[in-house]
Formats: sequence, structure tokens, C-alpha cells
Amino acid sequence: MTFLEQIKSDFNLYTAQASDDHFSRLRKEAFAAFEQLGIPTTQLEEWKYSNLRSVQQGNFTTSCVSNLDADSLIKAGVLNTIESNKLVFVNGCLFPELSVWLETDERIKICSLAQARKDFSSIFDAHFGKYINFSKDGLLALNTALMSDGAFVFVPEGAALKHPLMITNITDANEHALFQQPRNLIIIEKNASASIIENYMAVGAYTSFTNVVNEIFVGENASLEHYKVQRAAGNTYHTNYTQLHQLANTNINQVTLTLDGQWVRNNLHFFMNGENCNSLLYGLYIPDGKQFVDNHSRVDHAKPNCFSDEKYKGILKDEATAVFNGKIVVHEDAQKTNAYQRNQNILLSNTATINTKPQLEIFADDVKCTHGATIGQLDEEPMFYLRSRGISEQEARRLLLNAFADDIAEKIKIPELVAILESEIERKL
Amino acid sequence: MISITNLQASIEGKSILNGINLEIKPGEVHAIMGPNGAGKSTLSSVLAGRSDYDITGGNVTFLGKNLLELSPEDRAREGLFLAFQYPVEIPGVSSTNFLKTAINEKRKYHGLEPMEATDFLKFMRSKMEEMEMDKSLTSRSLNEGFSGGEKKRNEVFQMAMLEPKFCIMDETDSGLDIDALRLVSAGVNKLRNSERSFLVITHYQRLLDYIVPDFVHVLYKGRIVKSGDASLAKELEVKGYDWIKQEVEAAV
Repeated sequence: MTFLEQIKSDFNLYTAQASDDHFSRLRKEAFAAFEQLGIPTTQLEEWKYSNLRSVQQGNFTTSCVSNLDADSLIKAGVLNTIESNKLVFVNGCLFPELSVWLETDERIKICSLAQARKDFSSIFDAHFGKYINFSKDGLLALNTALMSDGAFVFVPEGAALKHPLMITNITDANEHALFQQPRNLIIIEKNASASIIENYMAVGAYTSFTNVVNEIFVGENASLEHYKVQRAAGNTYHTNYTQLHQLANTNINQVTLTLDGQWVRNNLHFFMNGENCNSLLYGLYIPDGKQFVDNHSRVDHAKPNCFSDEKYKGILKDEATAVFNGKIVVHEDAQKTNAYQRNQNILLSNTATINTKPQLEIFADDVKCTHGATIGQLDEEPMFYLRSRGISEQEARRLLLNAFADDIAEKIKIPELVAILESEIERKL
Repeated sequence: MISITNLQASIEGKSILNGINLEIKPGEVHAIMGPNGAGKSTLSSVLAGRSDYDITGGNVTFLGKNLLELSPEDRAREGLFLAFQYPVEIPGVSSTNFLKTAINEKRKYHGLEPMEATDFLKFMRSKMEEMEMDKSLTSRSLNEGFSGGEKKRNEVFQMAMLEPKFCIMDETDSGLDIDALRLVSAGVNKLRNSERSFLVITHYQRLLDYIVPDFVHVLYKGRIVKSGDASLAKELEVKGYDWIKQEVEAAV
């Protein structure tokens, strides 16, 4: 059975037992869209450098069965020292023994998506599928049609998460090749706030394909810290679509760190649907070996007086390849927009490749926007300056690369996470 | 201290230094002056170990070692210090971390244990007081956003911290107003002693009003064409470089 045949058969199994409700109708609609669109190919402009052909030819199982037990997961570093609420998913299914719950405000709801559909159906139905548009994106459609489980986060009006929430997804490819589609729904209502860490890890030698979709709603005057840490090493293919829908006076700080993974494609889409929004998007990628990392982002300024600042930095080693494609769209109404975008890359070998494309599309006439990209090697002047003070070449290189990377790591507002990441960055360098 | 014999260097096939001879003893301050393009900055770069230049002849002995065979970091660890004409801004590297790394790498080279963090901070504080450095300068990233004067003062502060034996000042006066020049010179004068030698490279005489040299040499077309005491600098200030150029051309 080919991958596509398998998807079809999985979907037939689903429809055979599904009741006819809003949720299942949406999934049927999404599947119809997927059948039209398929898995993206390099024929599409947005996927020019990102080849998923080997996934198409893969023979995956979608069962979340895993032999991992809580002890081995803890040993693998799933529960770290960060004091946070925790949800752990293995191969797409919740691993309830490892959940950690620190909040005292009972209005806040955090559980699996499957649980939320039963227990909080009115909130679920009001938000699920409302912010993404799967009619033009095959992977969004596929996730909507055949999602695994994921996290549901509801922070109601005026409430605040006292501790961060860490959503950890573990790929266990010890037994067989795996296909999973985590789906997270995060709702931060008016005047509420939350800090959320998405953490990806992997074990096992088989191939895996993980297709994540995050739908995030941020209501008026609300704020969100959102961090994505990609450490799923091994033969992993990972695509991630994060849709953020923000209303007026919201603050979002989003940081994406891509360290491990054979093939990673991040899609980040901010839609600022209200005035006076602040959107910060930062990213760091350090691919080595034959890793491939693609960061696509789109920032829609739909209303006036919003600010966005995007900075993505890459350090590429060995035969690694990276893509940066950032698009800022300033709609006709969005006067007094301030939007900044930068992509900076350091190539440490002759065989590393970066394809970068910063883009602005401006339909308003009173805006301030800048964008730019740089590609280079480690500068010789700072190297010589440090060496002339008695610092070895190796140590000078370490200092300079760490400084380049720390500029992004320090955008994270959880000190324990910054410390963990700084040692991970050190490992990669 | 340092003995330079018939030093020749070129860049991209173009000969810049054409046989420099210079002997500097402990505690001496030598000034090198000369018109633009004479090779002044090339001399400082070659001595500090910048790799852009090809050494085509001659040798340099520094405290008994063949300087030209040492890496830039080993030259520094042996006690050579170059105060840059254009100190480099290094965002993200804190001045404190940078100095601690530099000092401990030097200690390691000499077989010493790294300095304890508290000892280091004490040492740094005392040097900051001595050199009248503003605290805010050392808490920031290395040279980032510093004014021209602050950068040059920071070079002299690094000199105080690293305690070199031989300091090269490469056009330290360039881009400084008179107040900054005074502050920087005062710092240098505090570091003068009977053991430490200086090579002060400058286009203008005014720096030498503050850092008074024992010897002045004029560099022209990659050679030292005239040497004298501090009065030679005054003479150059009045007469410019043309008379020296004429003397040299006449001798040829």
C-alpha cells in the first residue's frame, strides 16, 4: 500500500464510525481538500526547496503504540527541571502518567484535544478550525482530516497561567516507521496570558513523519509567550503549521529553535486582526550533517497601528541546507504599520547551503517596513581582535558563534529554558 | 625587548615594508611617524600577526623568541599587545567574559591555574579604579555602541588588565578630540614603567605632547629614513614630511 492509499484507507475507517456532527463534517471537507491538493511537491513555489518525496514513498504506521515506559521517558529527559505544567504525548497519544499540573485557577482548562471535544464541546466548536485555511494547503487539510491527539489549552478572560505549559511530543520509532499528526488548540481569551513551550524529541532508528498543526487564538489585551524547541533527532521528517490569530492590543513573543531533525519545515503565520498588536517572531537554526531546515513565515498586518519584529538567524555546518522565506503583508487598511524583518546566516563550510527570500507586500501608503538578509562566514576582524588578546582560534570562534546564537536565545523569558538551550547550542557548535 | 632586523613584507605582491631595522629596549618608548602610505599600520599588523601580509624577508626577535613563527594568540600570551586603530565591536560578548577568557588563556599558556571568579572581579575592579573606567563600559558588550574615545580608552584598559611587556599603539589618536586624547594618554602614561616598552605609531605630533617618546623614527616607503629624539617630532610638526622625502630622493 502506498502512503496515499494508506491515508485513504485510514480515512475510510474513520468515516465508517464517525457520527454526523460539525467536527466530522469539517474533517470530510478537509479530506476532500487534501485529495485535491495532495502532499506538497517542489513544483509549488512555496515548496521549491523542500522535498517530501521520500515521505510520499514511506510505509508508515499511524498507531501510537509504544513500548516506552515512564522511567525511560524520564531518563530521556522528558521531564526537565523547568517548573511547568506538563503534557506528554508519545507517537501522538497522551501519556497521562507524565502529566504535571501546577495551576490552582480552576477556570483554566488544559487537557488532550480528544478530552476537550467531549468535556468542553462549546469552546471547542467555537474555535476549532476557525483560524486555519486548509483549502490551499495539503498538509493542513491532511492534519484536519486525520489528526492524532494534541493539547487543548483554554485560558479564560482575565486568567493567567502562573507557570509555563510544556507540551512535549515524543516520536518513538524503535519498532516501526511512524506517521503522526499532532494537533494543538490554544485559546487565550481577553485580558488573559500564558507561556507555552512546544518540545519535540525522538528515539529510534526508523523513519518518522510528524505533521503538526497549532491553532492559536489570542483575544483582546491578551498576551502569549510561545516557544518551539525542535530536538527530534534521527531519521525524522517534521512539518509544523502554527497559525496565530490575534485581536486588538495583544502581545505575542514567539521563538522557534531548530536544533535536531533530519528534515524540518516550520510554517508560522501571524494574523493581526486588531489594532495596536505587538508581534515578535524570532528563530535560530543550527543544522549540521545533512540536516534540512526550512522556516517559512507570513505576517499579516490587517489593521492599523501594529508592530512586528522578525529576526531569524542560522549557523550552518557540514552539508546542511536551510531555507528562510518570510513574507510581511500590509493590508490596505493597515496604516501606521511598523514591520521589521531580518535573516542572518553564517556558513561554516563550503558545502552548506542557504536559500533566503525576505519579502514585503505593502498595500497601505503610510507604513514603516524594512527587510533584509545576510549570508557570510565568521568575520575575520573580530576573530583577529580576540586572538590578538591571547584567545585561541577555537575559543574565539566559540565566543563569536555563541554570541550570534544567544541574541535569539535571550528572547526567551524562562531563564531555566534559556540555560538548557544555551548548553544545547553549545553542543551543536 | 624586541629586535627587528631587515623586515620586509608585502600584500598581494605589492611590497610595503622594505627592510625595517629597529631595536627597542625594556622601558623605552619609540614613536614611528610618517606620511600616509609609508607602511606604519602594516608594521603594527605584521608584528601582531595579521595573516593578510606575506613576510618576504628579515626577522623579529621578541624576548628571545622568533616572533614571526608565533600565532597571534601566542604573541599576545608572550606579552605583546596591539591597541587597534579601529577597535572591533563584538555584540553579544561581554567585556567581562572576554577579559576573563583572555587572562585565563594566557595563564594556561604559562602553566598557571585559571583565576578564581572572585579574584578576577577584584582584580578587574582595582584596574578600573586605577584607569578611571566607567563601570557601565565593562558591563556592556565588547565595544558595542562605544564612542571613538570610549573604544580607545577600552583598549588602554585591556592593556592594563593583560599587563603586556610590549605595547603597540596603532594611530591611537585618530578620531579623538583633545579631551579624549588627554584621557587616553594619561592612561598610557600610568602604564609606563622601566620594564614595559611602547611603540607609538602616529601621523601627527600632538599625541607625542602627551606620551613623550624616548626616540622618534620616520618611516617612508617602507624604511626608517630618519631617527632622533622627541625634538624630531616637533620639527616634523613645523616642517611637514616633504623635506624628508626630498632628502631621501636626493640620496637615491
